[in-house]
Amino acid sequence: MILLRLISWQYIRKHRLRTLFTIAAVVLGAGTFVGMHSAGVAVLSAFNDTVDHIAGKAQLQITAGDSGFPEEVLGRIQSVPEVATAVPLIEAVVQSTKKGEGNLLVLGVDMTGDRSIRDYDLDSGEDDIVDDPLVFLAQPDSLIVSADFAQRNRLSVDSKLPMDTMEGEKQFTVRGIMRSAGLGSVFGGNLGIMDLYAAQKVFGRGRRFDRVEVRLAPGLSIDQGRAALRQALGSGFQVDTPATRGHQFESLMQVYSVSVNIFSLFALFTGLFIIYNAFNIAVTQRRTEIGILRALGATRRQILALFLGEGVILGLVGSALGILFGMFLARATSGYVSDVMQALYGMGARAQDVTLSRGFMVAAVILGTATSVIGAILPARNASRVDPVKALQRGQYQVLSAGENRNRRIVAAIFALSAIACAALGRSHGLFYVSYLSFIIAALLLVPALSLWMSRMLRPVLRKVRPVEGVLAADSLIQAPRRTSATVAALMLSLGLIVSIGGISRSSYNSIAQWIDTAFNPDLFVSASQNLVEHSFRFPDSMTRALSSLDGVADVGRMRGNKISVKGASVVLYALDIEKVAAHTRERSIVAGDFDRMNRLTAEGKGAIISENYELLQHAAMGDILPIPSPSGFVNLPVVGIVRDYTNQSGTIFIDYSVYQRYWEDPTVDIFEVYAKPGTPLEDLKTRIQAQFPEQHRMFVYLNREVKNRVLSNSNQFLGLTYIQIFIAVLVAVLGVANNLSISITDRRREFGILRAIGALGLQIRGSIWCEALTIAFLGVALGMAFGALDLFYELGLVRNDYAGLTLDYQFPFGMALTVIPVILVAAWLASIASSESAARSSLREALEYE
Amino acid sequence: MIHLENVTKQFDGARKVTALEGITLRVDRGEVVAIVGPSGSGKSTLLNLVGMLDRPTSGSIRVDDREIGSLGDGDLTRLRRDKIGFIFQFFNLLPSLSSVENVGLPLHLRGWTAQKVKQRAQELLDLVGLNHRLQHLPDELSGGERQRVAIARALACNPPILLADEPTGNLDSHTGAEILTLLGDLQLKLGSTVLVVTHDNEVARSAQRRLSLRDAHLVEDVRQ
Repeated sequence: MILLRLISWQYIRKHRLRTLFTIAAVVLGAGTFVGMHSAGVAVLSAFNDTVDHIAGKAQLQITAGDSGFPEEVLGRIQSVPEVATAVPLIEAVVQSTKKGEGNLLVLGVDMTGDRSIRDYDLDSGEDDIVDDPLVFLAQPDSLIVSADFAQRNRLSVDSKLPMDTMEGEKQFTVRGIMRSAGLGSVFGGNLGIMDLYAAQKVFGRGRRFDRVEVRLAPGLSIDQGRAALRQALGSGFQVDTPATRGHQFESLMQVYSVSVNIFSLFALFTGLFIIYNAFNIAVTQRRTEIGILRALGATRRQILALFLGEGVILGLVGSALGILFGMFLARATSGYVSDVMQALYGMGARAQDVTLSRGFMVAAVILGTATSVIGAILPARNASRVDPVKALQRGQYQVLSAGENRNRRIVAAIFALSAIACAALGRSHGLFYVSYLSFIIAALLLVPALSLWMSRMLRPVLRKVRPVEGVLAADSLIQAPRRTSATVAALMLSLGLIVSIGGISRSSYNSIAQWIDTAFNPDLFVSASQNLVEHSFRFPDSMTRALSSLDGVADVGRMRGNKISVKGASVVLYALDIEKVAAHTRERSIVAGDFDRMNRLTAEGKGAIISENYELLQHAAMGDILPIPSPSGFVNLPVVGIVRDYTNQSGTIFIDYSVYQRYWEDPTVDIFEVYAKPGTPLEDLKTRIQAQFPEQHRMFVYLNREVKNRVLSNSNQFLGLTYIQIFIAVLVAVLGVANNLSISITDRRREFGILRAIGALGLQIRGSIWCEALTIAFLGVALGMAFGALDLFYELGLVRNDYAGLTLDYQFPFGMALTVIPVILVAAWLASIASSESAARSSLREALEYE
Repeated sequence: MIHLENVTKQFDGARKVTALEGITLRVDRGEVVAIVGPSGSGKSTLLNLVGMLDRPTSGSIRVDDREIGSLGDGDLTRLRRDKIGFIFQFFNLLPSLSSVENVGLPLHLRGWTAQKVKQRAQELLDLVGLNHRLQHLPDELSGGERQRVAIARALACNPPILLADEPTGNLDSHTGAEILTLLGDLQLKLGSTVLVVTHDNEVARSAQRRLSLRDAHLVEDVRQ
């Protein structure tokens, strides 16, 4: 402790900027970990809160997929002796017409029984409106909103609120305002409550409910109640606790979670290398000091403890600041994550606040401190091994870093071979991960050797460009491979991640574009929901004939989407006019089965087609029997074909629309796929469709290219992560290069003195530092691109095998690479300015006397 | 050639240290001057000031009739490049560069073409008797050879003034004598003005003139 105060504290005070760099590296690692995780946790927690508050006192929820079920089912539920209360519910997410308010979650409830499940906690308005449900029922435009929403939109009781409905934009009247806590806080406060039957009408539900919520008789366990309900209702219904919806959302968020884990890991690794470099610098600079301490009797263990102690202190400070940075990052990104979830799955919740649990904070501090200590271990060990005699000798200062070592190259080669062998051996998940890990280890171990080799290769080139500055910059890198390689490794990891995220983005963009062209290719889409993925609004099937009869229309296919649970997994069932689809999608990519046979059997109701991601994620195979739940019981269909399809990330089952009609008794359609006759002007046809159905106020007609753009823009949502990663890469470049050069100019101080003594101008000294910075950045960029190119291969494997089941073609993101390269080079150059100024302005006399 | 008028140099620190005080001195073209004195007397400071590596606290220094006090950093560097060649006790060769590259360094800095630099560097190494060590790194040379490379580098731009700080201080007596002979030969051949800081009586005796410094003052100026 005394050594820390006497020695370390003085060094920290003297080298504030470098200390700041080290702390910044911990902040980067811990902050990214905290920020990315907290954003996900906040969104998940907001969704769970929404589910909990909406569920109120309900213990079980009964659903039958998105299609809901007929009203009669409620009577069957209420007649079960184990059920104390059962109330129906309609739930719809609608676009608020209020500017900037986004979506509004509207619950349609039966006021006569609902208050036994939910507490509305009215803030203002006439209490008797809800106390006397008849008043509320008598006025079908009645709406209760949260205090938060009312305040934001200056609404009070009797204010009018326009909303998009199946009957077009309708004016609703605010009849009550809930307090912002509890139910009023769900969906970021964007909640509206209306009468159940009015909701059925405005959201096109007909005489169906979305779900029924149940309170059990006193003394019964959840399992007893669930068993009784399952027996009474038969197959086809899901009887789950409200928390199950949270679990489904959590499983959808797995894509985000896996991305975040990889992202955080890379950030931690990156921080680790910067910390390692900073400590290496400190040990080099303090060599004489260490020699003096050793000469005065300090043991090796004390020197080791001194540097590790510094690591702990800097780690603690960095972690504390990292938590603050992480919270800032989480606040900035939680809205984005929520939007991505809403756009991709039609499920999301606005996180109003980001909080950190005590346990998570402790975990972040441990992680940040551990990163700092691990980064300090090797330099600390080197410090403890300093020979006091040599350290105190004049002229012995500039001990070059021990060159890269042969053993490391051999270990790297073993890991590289292991990576290749495991990748070649097969599709086993275990082997895949071993291969991935081996690849990363091999790459990291090879960085010093590759940096050295590339620096040597670059020397003649640099000599040609700048005979003095270039050669000396290359020599500086060649002489200190350890110093260089830590920064290069950090840059490599950071840029590699940019390349792989960019590659996934580009690959998914191109794969989805191709899929839309070959498999999702009508000329026009007529949809009841604006974003095409929500099933809150539907058209009556009767529209099909009217659409088909329009002049210029060659064919009309029906699509009805339905979220269902098959063997415990939440997937999407699409009912389609299979024959029509088959006629227009002959070019589509088939994974297994014969195109004609699979479509014929599916159209005849003798089979189902599944998407490739369903096959991979749910481990299904040709011939497997799928127990598809419907309100009429399980529909058991064999898998007759597997196709490449990007409709849903959890997996999709395709059946014929006639089968759906038969078992679901739901004569509605989400989307009409309209194929135009050749030569028909599509814009004209779009206008005519809109004019043909004036009563369908909630009708969105999109041209194929408009849908393509929308789907592709959704697929690009995760590209946002790339921009954060680019920001981190720039930080890494600035921190790493600045750190690196600060020690380089110390190492090269005498060299600069000599150069200036023999006539080098300030600009030439600066030029040499700039050359070194640009060369480091170039090495990082080159290795980062190569690392990213291979990492992309593994990331695509992860996307395919573990979290989306999507087969994406390999596409290197050349455009992104070309954008990133100059950004990193400029960042490196900017990072070198302070060092170059310091070198150019340092005292010549002192530089020449420097030992 | 070199003219110092009442030059004082102080170093700022926790307390001010006067390294040179009131030095007035004139060195003519072609003179060989030894600067002697005990450690801390100000010898190296005097050499650094004449070599324009440092600036005086007060007083005036003229090199080849140019007052250096009024020059900016860039002009000072150019003047140093044209007029001064340095020879250091620890050679100060760049360890990663070969002999020919080290010698060519000042020429590259002046923007010479690679071919001309190579040709001139080879000539200079030939001049100091090292034409068989062109591609050797400093680590592969003996102390005397390293100093010869350093001398060749100092002569690269044909400077009229050579400044040597203990040029034999890091060499054994035999090698030191060889270097001294070489310096004498070169001075005769090139007509350079040479200032040598030394503790070595042999070196001091070989010079035409001896300046003795003590406690920051010039206490003796003897022409031998």
